[in-house]
Parts: sequence; structure tokens; C-alpha cells
Amino acid sequence: MSGWQKVQYNLRVIFMAFEIELRQSFTDAFVLFGIIVQPMIVAFMALWMLKDQVANYAIFVVVGSAMTGLWTTLLFQGGNSITGERWTGTLEPLSCVPAPLRVVVSGKLLATITQSLFSIVCCYAFISLLMGLPLNIAKPWLFAGSVVLTVVAFIAFGLIIGPLFILNPDVQRFQNGLEFVVYIFSGFLFPIALLPMWTTPFSYILTPYWAARALHAASGGTGSDAEIYFCWAMLVVFSLIYAIISKFLFKSILRKAREDATLNMQ
Amino acid sequence: MSAIEVSNLQRDFQTTIGVFKRKKKTVSAVKGISFEIAHGELFGLLGPNGAGKTTSVKMLTTLLIPTGGTARILGFDIVKDAEKVRPRVGFIFGGERGLYWRLNATDNLRYFASLYYIDPAVSKKRIPYLLEMVGLKDRADEKVEGYSRGMRQRLHIARALLHDPEVLFLDEPTMGLDPVGARELRQTVRNLQNEKKTILLTTHYMFEADALCQRIAVINKGEIVAMDTPARIKDTVNDLSVIEIEVFGIPPETFEKIKSLPVVESATVEDRDQRQLLLVHTSKGAEAIPLLVSQLNDLKLGKVTTREPTLEDAYVRLVGGE
Amino acid sequence: MEKIKLNINIFFEGAYLSYVGLFRWLSPSTYLATLIFSPLTQMLFFVLIGTYAQGTGRAYFYVIGNALMNAAMSGIYGVTMSIGGDRWDGTLPYLFGAPANRMTVFLGRAFMHILNGMIGVITGLFWGWLLFHIDYSATNPWALLLTILVTTFSTAGLGLLMGCIGLITRNVMFVNNTVYFVLLVFSGANLELTSLPKWMQIVSNYLPLTRGIASARLIIGGHALGEVLPLLVEEVGIGLFFALLGYSLFRWFEVTAKKRGTLEVF
Repeated sequence: MSGWQKVQYNLRVIFMAFEIELRQSFTDAFVLFGIIVQPMIVAFMALWMLKDQVANYAIFVVVGSAMTGLWTTLLFQGGNSITGERWTGTLEPLSCVPAPLRVVVSGKLLATITQSLFSIVCCYAFISLLMGLPLNIAKPWLFAGSVVLTVVAFIAFGLIIGPLFILNPDVQRFQNGLEFVVYIFSGFLFPIALLPMWTTPFSYILTPYWAARALHAASGGTGSDAEIYFCWAMLVVFSLIYAIISKFLFKSILRKAREDATLNMQ
Repeated sequence: MSAIEVSNLQRDFQTTIGVFKRKKKTVSAVKGISFEIAHGELFGLLGPNGAGKTTSVKMLTTLLIPTGGTARILGFDIVKDAEKVRPRVGFIFGGERGLYWRLNATDNLRYFASLYYIDPAVSKKRIPYLLEMVGLKDRADEKVEGYSRGMRQRLHIARALLHDPEVLFLDEPTMGLDPVGARELRQTVRNLQNEKKTILLTTHYMFEADALCQRIAVINKGEIVAMDTPARIKDTVNDLSVIEIEVFGIPPETFEKIKSLPVVESATVEDRDQRQLLLVHTSKGAEAIPLLVSQLNDLKLGKVTTREPTLEDAYVRLVGGE
Repeated sequence: MEKIKLNINIFFEGAYLSYVGLFRWLSPSTYLATLIFSPLTQMLFFVLIGTYAQGTGRAYFYVIGNALMNAAMSGIYGVTMSIGGDRWDGTLPYLFGAPANRMTVFLGRAFMHILNGMIGVITGLFWGWLLFHIDYSATNPWALLLTILVTTFSTAGLGLLMGCIGLITRNVMFVNNTVYFVLLVFSGANLELTSLPKWMQIVSNYLPLTRGIASARLIIGGHALGEVLPLLVEEVGIGLFFALLGYSLFRWFEVTAKKRGTLEVF
């Protein structure tokens, strides 16, 4: 099979996995909670807490709370992208097909993150309703570009989280805690300047941090175009780094699962 | 070159015992098995539950890495060339899991067809053909969560055949099927053999191995205890007769006494509703009956018959029967 | 006398066994992750939003509110799992078949979680002291302890009701998550109740935690027990109300299931 043929086949796999994942999780109550209910409740609280205290607080709350929905969905649904297959007994057949598991999971993550973009719509509609007027996005094209790069970057990030959760089940126990940790260190609803200086490097390696920074700057007009492009560059760089690391991670987890007989666990 | 070459294949598992002071224990599920299967042969791996059949198949399908020994499928090493083995084999482990329950049969197959890099034009024809072959054509648009166990088993088979593999591993394929379904499946297996596919079938149903397989390996406690054609394995018990005695509640001590009699080669007890059937293998034929009955004289007895041994009896003798 | 002793036995044994058997968080790392780490991160998140909005002087408001929310964590999730767990483990028919006094069994389930909840709240207040330098010097410790006990009791009461609802719905986690987040809004943990619309204030009044949080803020602010006693009495009343509601549902459920022969369905 030529390289180009393989790319074509893998693209087809991504879209099939995308379709299958979307159809399976579309009506999942847990998923709907993470995409709709929780972000809207967070939005309501943040709106009330930040009311008149911060400039452009309404659009800031929309973006910040939508980001909580994106991250929560990536953490729980994306994080379980491989462990979920193991629970259903489908990891065994998946690990024996020509299509690499990494490609399959990418398709699943694309579905997960696309679904979670609905958080932006929900929060925007909800806050607009509460404020009684439609909210303004200061730089719509840069905002749209930031959304696209956020999707790409989150997929790359998910390709790290999924294998980590299967490699070390103890990490998965901290899944609930990791939810708010990222909300905090990514500056979704407050600037990271509020945190101790020594935590800043940790924020910088988080994809959600650069995504939130770009989206806040583009929506609220609080950042220059140059700053937004810089965030885009960081999103691309980290996506590449995470994509490369994920290749080794996937190889590692599959090898370990075959050694430890953990491809199929009930 | 044989289609499948297995040389001293081994697999150990680590388990832990205890809750607070965890001690590691090594369990040998497969202790070093060797066999070769020719191209187009239908080979049976026969053994009781826990004998190591599934573990062996999982190693050969690259789902488990062996802890010792080697194996080659179509010339490719199962560890070093696993990537080359996978597209050439199909496997069925069956059961309730391993399928996407919220999707229907067609979508399950469409998904896996893409994962096997099958051209959409090809899969468009192949999927309906396979669904028809396994008898799921009429229920193809229903979600798998509504399928019976037998239907799910059949969908597993369709999926295993999607990429038209040269080698097939069928792990207890008729388990959970009703007699009609099982018979249809056995016919499907025969048809596949007619297509010159190499098939390794595991089962604990002796009559199934006898009916389908050209050669059988009997595996017990991780080791192969016999390997030959069904007829020759049956021959190993030709010197024996089987005496069947209906009893109504045989105490364990009495059973042990009978087993220790010099005329008794081996013995088992089978439960049949309200009564039990004591099966004794002896080379003395009907002459052994009075001695046996005398051991059972304080019990209520039913029919006593003598018959020729079957493959089942050979199997019982080989695996030590309990 | 014998009957009382027997019931006490059933209560404590049942409480302990049900805790161990059904409360899957028992391993140390899971306990650490779910009852210590996760609530800490949530508290940090809201406290930081609050201090972003109103400065560090108001940190105590958010610390106390979110620390008391830890009671809800055990009360809702923990208690629900202890009751609902019977269903998923298939032990429900055996529970209903046993001759033990239903009320004793029922309340025993909540007992260990009340203890857990108290530990969670105290831990939260400790973090508040360590990280945000909340001043507890004016606090009457016994009054605070009583407040914490009462609050955890009343959320456990709600948990008993949620647990019973969990016996008849498949989306129990969705319901639990929603109730938890609704409490986050209505309890006044992060929002000044008087700033909310009138209808929300009315709803707040009928929910557990509201009075507990208000009492805790008063006591830590130096007020005497006598001033908060009426609030605490009402809090107990609310807890009892939900517990009784839950118990009625529990009994109705048992009677109906036995009549229809549908215990195994659940």
C-alpha cells in the first residue's frame, strides 16, 4: 500500500470513528450533563460573581464557562476513549486491525470535542438571555480560527490523556480532581496572575491555557492580534509535541496490555 | 511450510493473593505446547474449561505476548512480525461483549470494514453477503443490544470474515447457541474449510471436534496430552469397555473405593436429573460388573449396561475425568 | 430492651458493612483523590473567581461556602452509592427479604457518610486557613462542630432521597450531578443569596445546606451559638423531611416491587 493510499484509508477511519462515536454518545446523559448542564450552571455562578467587577465580564463568562465544558468533556469522555473500549470488550478486536489505534482514537476525540463545542453555543445563548441582549464578539474571524485550533490542540491533548489513563489506573482515580485543576491553571475564569509565580510553567504546558487565552483575547478584544497569533503558534507547537509523544505512548500501552493480558477486562 | 507452526509456546500469569500483604503468585496457563497445522486443515484444540485453549488462541492472534516459545502464522512470527500476522487472521472469542451495542449489525460491520482498510465498494457487497451467510440479513438494522446471544455470536463470525482472512481462530464458536444454530454454524465452518481456509477451532464438545476436525490436540492443564486424528484417538480406548450403572446418590467414599479397584482404568460420575450415572472404563468388559455391583450393594441401582467407548471416553481418560 | 439492642447492632453493623461493601471509594488513594483532592480543587476554583471579583478580603465567604459543600459530596454521592449500589450488585432482593427493621437499615447507610462529610468539611476549612489565611480565632469550636454535624446530616437526608430515586432511574449520575450543582447555586456557597431573584431565594429556603452555610459564616465571624441555633434547628428539620421522603419512597418501592414481582428488574 502506498503512503498516499494509507493516508486516504486512515482518513476514512477517522471519519468512521467520528460517526460511530457521535452516534453512540449523542444521547448519553452523562455527556449531555458535561456539555450543557454543568457549563450553564458554572456560567450562571460566574456571571453573578463577576457582575460589574470585571470589564466585558459577560463575554468573558461565556468563553470561560464554555471552556469548562470542553475540558470536562475531553477529560471524561476523551480520557475514557481507550478504557471505554476495554469495558465493552472491543479493545481486543481494535488492537488487531491494520488501522492504528491512535488513528481510531483521533476520530473518537474529534467527535467528542466537536460535540463539546455545543457548550459555546449553550453558554452564549444562556448568558445573552440573562443579560437581555446579544453579546458581541470583538474579533469574530480570529475567534473562529481560535476555535479550529482549539479542536486540533484538544485532540492532540486527548491522545496523551487516553493512554495515560490506561497505563496507570491510579491516574484515573484523580480524574475528578483534574477537572478543576485545569480550570484553575488554564485561566478559564480568572487570570493565572492570581496564582503563585512558580505555577506558571505548569499553565504554559497546558493546551487549554493557550486555547482559553486566544479565545478570551479574540472574544473580548482584550488582546492584540499579535498575542492571538502567538497563542495559535503555541497551540500548534504543543499539538505537534503531544502528537509525537502519543505515538510512543500508544505503542507502549498496547505492548504492556499484551504482556499483562489486560486488553480485555470486565 | 505449515500454515501454523507452534513450538514450545508458554504463557504464565501473575496474580496476587491477599488483601493487605499481597503476595505474587505465578500461574502457568500454557506450559509449552507444540503443533503444526497444514494449509487448509481444520484442526481442533479440545480440552476442559481452564485447560489453556483460549490463552493459546490469544497468543496466536497476537492478543497476548507469550512468556516462552515461538509460533509462526503463514511464516510470520507472532511477536516480531505481529503487524503482518494481524491482517491475515480472523478470530472469534464470542460472548456478549466485543460489539457496539448501540449500533446495528450493518454499522458494526461497516466500522470494522473501514478499520481493515477494505474499499467501500468491496464492503458494500461483502457486508450483505456475510449477513446473509450468518442468517442476520433480516435483523441487520436492529441494534445489537436487542440481539440474543446466538445472534451476537453470528455477528462475531461475520466480522471475523470481513477481510477474508487465510487463517481463522474459532474459540468455542457454538457455545451459547441453540442446537439448530450450532448445527448451522458447524456447516458454516465446513463451508469455510471447503474454501481452503486454515482453521483452528477450540471446543470442549467432543462430538463437535469429532464431527468437524481432521486432527485434534487434547489439551489439559496447559499441556497437550494427545494429538492425532479423531479415529486414532478413539483407538486408544479400543481395549476398554464402558460400563454404565445408574445410581441414586453415590457417596464420595464409595466412588473412591470403586476408582481404586484394580479392574477399573478410570471412572466418572455424571448427574442426570434425580439420578447419577457411574461410568467405569475397564478392560475386563462385562466380567467386571459383579465386582462393581458388590461395592454398591447398599445403594439403589437402576440400569446396568456395557458399551463400546466413544471419543468422549477417550477424552475423559486423557484428561483424568472428574 | 432486647429489641433496642438488636436494632443498635443492626444499625452499626449494617452501616459498617454497607460502607465497605458498597462504597467503592474505600482504597486510600481513591479516598484521597475523591474526598480530599477533588473538593480542594473545586474550592480553589471558586475562591479564586471570588477573589478575582472582590479581592482577597472576601476569600472567607467562598472558603466557608465551598468547605461546607464537601458535606454534599458525601451526602449525595456517598449515600446514593450506598443505597443504589444494592441495585447494581443485585443484592436488593436480599435486602428487602431480610427481616431487619427497614428504618434502622436505611439510616445505618447514611451514618458513615455523615462522618465522612464532617471530615471533608473540616479538611476544607483547614485548607482555607493554610492557603487563604482565614482567621478562625473568633470561632466557638463546639458551635462550629455542631453546625458541621447538622449540615452533613441534612445533606445525607437529601442523599437518602436521591439514593432511592437512583433505584428506579438509569441516569442516576446525571440526577446526582445536577442536584449537586443546583445546590452549589442555591445554597449560597458562592453567591450572596440576597442578590438572587426572589424565586431563587424561596427555593434556597427549602434546600439543605443554605442555613448550615449561613450559620458557619456567622460562627466563624464570631457570633454565638445561640444566634444560629434557630437556623440549625431548621436545618435538622429539612434533613429529616428529606430523609422521611426518601424512606417513604424506599418502602413504597419495596411494596410495589414485591407486589409486581419486579425486584430483579431493579
